[in-house]
Amino acid sequence: MWRITFSGLLAHKIRYALTALAVTLGVAFMSGTFVLTDTIGRTFDGLFTDVYHNTSAVVRAYQPFTPQANFTSQRSKIDATLVSKIRLVDGVTEVRVDAQGYAQLVGKNGKPIGNPGAGAPTLGQAWNDVSSMNPYRLLPGGYPPRSSSEVVIDKRSADVGNLSVGAQVMVLTKQAPSIYTITGIVRWENADSPLGASITLFDQATAERVLGEPGKVDEIDVAAAPGVSQQQMAERLRSALSDPKLEVLTGKQITKEGQNSVRDALAFFNTFLLIFALIALFVGSFLIFNTFSIIVAQRLRELALLRAVGASRPQVMGSVLGESLVIGVLASAAGLGVGIGLAVGLRAMLVAFGIDIPSSGLLISPRTIVISLVVGTLITVLAAIAPAKKAGKIAPVAALRDVAIDGETRKVRRTISGAIVTAIGLVALFIGLFSHPSNRVTFVGVGAAVVFLGVANLGPLVSRPLSRVIGVPLTWRGTTGQLARSNAMRNPKRTAATAAALMVGVAVISVMSVIASSMKSTVSAVVDSNMRADFVVSAGGQPGSPIGLSPTLQQKLSTLPQIASSTGVRAGTVRIDGSTNIVLATDPRHVSDLFDIDLKQGDVASMTATGIAISQQKADAKHLAIGQPLKVQFTTTGTKTFTVQAIYGARQLAGDYVLPLAAAERNFSQQLDYQVYVKLAAGTTPADGRSAIDPIVEHYPTAKLMDRTEFKHQQLAQINQMLNLVYGLLALALFIALIGIANTLALSIHERTRELGLLRAVGMTRPQLRSTVRSESVIIALLGAAEGLVVGTLFGWAIVSALKSAGVTQLSVPIVQLVVVALLAAFAGVLAAVGPGRRAARLDVLRAITTE
Amino acid sequence: MTIAASSTQSQLLARPALAARMVDAVKVYGSGATVVRALDGVSAEFAAGQFTAIMGPSGSGKSTLLHCLAGLDRLTSGQVFVRDVDLSTLNDKAMTLLRRERVGFVFQAFNLVPTLTARENIVLPLSLAGHKPDKAWFDTLIRALGIEDRLLHRPSEMSGGQQQRVAMGRALVTRPDLVFADEPTGNLDSKSATELLEQMRSAVDEFGQTVVMVTHDARAASYSDRVLFLADGHIVKELEKPTTDTVLDMVRILGD
Repeated sequence: MWRITFSGLLAHKIRYALTALAVTLGVAFMSGTFVLTDTIGRTFDGLFTDVYHNTSAVVRAYQPFTPQANFTSQRSKIDATLVSKIRLVDGVTEVRVDAQGYAQLVGKNGKPIGNPGAGAPTLGQAWNDVSSMNPYRLLPGGYPPRSSSEVVIDKRSADVGNLSVGAQVMVLTKQAPSIYTITGIVRWENADSPLGASITLFDQATAERVLGEPGKVDEIDVAAAPGVSQQQMAERLRSALSDPKLEVLTGKQITKEGQNSVRDALAFFNTFLLIFALIALFVGSFLIFNTFSIIVAQRLRELALLRAVGASRPQVMGSVLGESLVIGVLASAAGLGVGIGLAVGLRAMLVAFGIDIPSSGLLISPRTIVISLVVGTLITVLAAIAPAKKAGKIAPVAALRDVAIDGETRKVRRTISGAIVTAIGLVALFIGLFSHPSNRVTFVGVGAAVVFLGVANLGPLVSRPLSRVIGVPLTWRGTTGQLARSNAMRNPKRTAATAAALMVGVAVISVMSVIASSMKSTVSAVVDSNMRADFVVSAGGQPGSPIGLSPTLQQKLSTLPQIASSTGVRAGTVRIDGSTNIVLATDPRHVSDLFDIDLKQGDVASMTATGIAISQQKADAKHLAIGQPLKVQFTTTGTKTFTVQAIYGARQLAGDYVLPLAAAERNFSQQLDYQVYVKLAAGTTPADGRSAIDPIVEHYPTAKLMDRTEFKHQQLAQINQMLNLVYGLLALALFIALIGIANTLALSIHERTRELGLLRAVGMTRPQLRSTVRSESVIIALLGAAEGLVVGTLFGWAIVSALKSAGVTQLSVPIVQLVVVALLAAFAGVLAAVGPGRRAARLDVLRAITTE
Repeated sequence: MTIAASSTQSQLLARPALAARMVDAVKVYGSGATVVRALDGVSAEFAAGQFTAIMGPSGSGKSTLLHCLAGLDRLTSGQVFVRDVDLSTLNDKAMTLLRRERVGFVFQAFNLVPTLTARENIVLPLSLAGHKPDKAWFDTLIRALGIEDRLLHRPSEMSGGQQQRVAMGRALVTRPDLVFADEPTGNLDSKSATELLEQMRSAVDEFGQTVVMVTHDARAASYSDRVLFLADGHIVKELEKPTTDTVLDMVRILGD
């Protein structure tokens, strides 16, 4: 039977080529993701190994729990005086001190370098002279910072900011912005900068003062004499220091930790991209199913002949599956190749986005090869099973008779099976959304996929009536539209399966649009109803991201007579009852001027440094009332007990817990204001307020002054940015769906050769024929879009409902955007019809009507 | 403003002109050693209101002649005129419009668009041009063809004979200069074939239609006004007022 398989493949190679392309693209996306993340991972493994190459042990503060991966350490600092104690430990040859914190350079053009709110962090560190443990390599012509007015910066920042040795540079820290002289430029091992982070190196005393506090450092690294193992060194340090607030790691452990932090970030990135690769492959599987179904239908006589001359059912089925196997393997192999190329492109893209990845050879691990080939092949073969079964069922007598294989749909059976599959998918989806299982994403993803399969199964039932309705406007254009509509309706299964591929893509887009739109209206509602401040000053980023404004900014603003009240908002990671939260801290005295927190009980203005405000929801859930204690664990200072002093309703504004600023100053590791809110004095116009505030804000290049409208727009812009990225990644799935439409049309045209010839003979012009093909394509595309919009909006609604507890309280369906999606789908249909339409128009009339 | 509309019946009758003619028509297929001269210098005239049958053994060039005459294929050399239009001067679009407006077709099989009803199939050439059918003419036509009660049926719901009559309706609906029929009875039982041939005859007699039919059935040819016999790309014989017997005799003489 293999000979038949191969001759079948060769005979229909063009028809299969498009199908294979769908698999190739999906596999390429997947393998490209693997290659990229593996390569980056290996590169950083090597870098961390180099950085800690001579480090035998590390001393730092013990951290009771790990906040989410973040480049700015949230550990508390340790006394610099420990250095002298450590030097005395037997076997210690060298000691390196690291003090770090937020520091951001301002380029020659006055623009801050780096965007730690969205990209790599901007860090200040202490320069250290122990060359064996210094990952920074000074470029020729530079020297280390020797005074409190000198800094050394990384090469990438120097290039980006157009800064050179000897130049003056403004550096933003938690202190007021200051000017330094650049004395040197460094590379980090063999990279221009660590992961694209922007680095400023101060002398140790300055680093302690501007990044943390004088006399405090983050980490003390130790090099050991030959013969002293890392374990021995760590053990000696532990016993010499014997302080439970300190922890001692071996060089290997700290290396591993650094490597793991990059691996964790990469794993997230990897999963994120893989989801889109899987969506693309899923869409591709519809295409494969459809192509095989059509080809089996078209080869009916040939397959029946095989049966007639003695091929068994399994043999016929096997020959079709064999074809799918060959296609799957070839397409996956091609996808693997394309994916490696894609990885190169993606890496270039990351570099363009400012994430510096040192060049090194691509890492193509066996896992990448195996997974790519297996997944691509498996999806192809699985999708071909149903058509292969159908091929097996062809009766030998069909060779002699003209029987259609695409018989009438068995409506009852299809309705029941489709409904059951859809229901199963919905159950999984809802479990994932509402009952908080441990692997939520899997439940939601698999549930959604199963719903898609169920809806696709129901598709043939609705495709005919829907095509009829969708095609109405086209019939106004006359015969071509009418023919197109009846063509779209003549084979509901084929039309439905083709549309299903597009349905999936459009549905995912709709889901994202509904979620984003709901988030946006939630944000708008919060700004409109919960914010009383006239202005917000922000450096961008989210609460907890390693960026912020020096508290000096708010101090200066508070002295302005035009300002009635102002407060900085800080963010910190804490643990309450075993769950990690990012909590906000603000000045209780100004809360009611600046926000409407929908106070339910207690009082905010009179909150003390040991008071905490909590949301009504948490108060209910934890049965907490005013005056009761609540334990809060900090990364730096351990567990502290607070008293509930206020209960509020506006949790979409403030989250579940709000601490007074005094508590944040004592316990948070990062002392930067995430935002500063400002209320103008009575009688001060917004214009006057702005002109009073502007001169102060101008001294802080990262600070952005926004009135309420601008603030709202900034918040919305962040959501839009994310949405656009997701749209971009979904483009591949849509492209594959388009290939599917083109493929179906091409196969249908092949099948209708005689009919098209007849039409041409009785006077259909080539443009009319193309228009017919185009209209059919548009109908299929709109059908898929309509299904996708409905399914996607329902999913979006379910997900937004599930996000209610996460603070998305408004459901908003972006009608205009969804209409645009439908129009784009129609346009996509036009594009998909270009090739098939051209082919149809080129048909030789004579051959078409004389073909037997 | 179709040409069909302007060339009314009275004009046709008043002007016993040529509906089509062929001058030194040559059609060559292939090249080099495998060259086939399907038409080898054929000249013929087709008078308006005349029913011509074309016969000949397979490979004689009769289908090629029909295709070239009908604007479905192009000659290698020579000329074809439909009325006064030289087909060799037409591009694909003009040729398509000529077929749509001046020519009607009845093929042996697959005559109808399966997704359209009988009515829609009949008016197809008109609706492709964006025209409405002339109601009186349409009614006359379907009554003459006996398909009044089949108009809303799709091809799959009709018998072969009914399908061919619908095809006939489509061929006549534009009142074309010429109707071409390529083995129209080839797939029909004898009763249906007789009905169809009678209807073609009456289209010529009653509506003044010009019909050119390729057939290898002597009985079918006997419904025509004259028979052209083709062999090896040449017209070898012309028979006026044929009967089944005279046609059969001729076929025997020519050694079909």
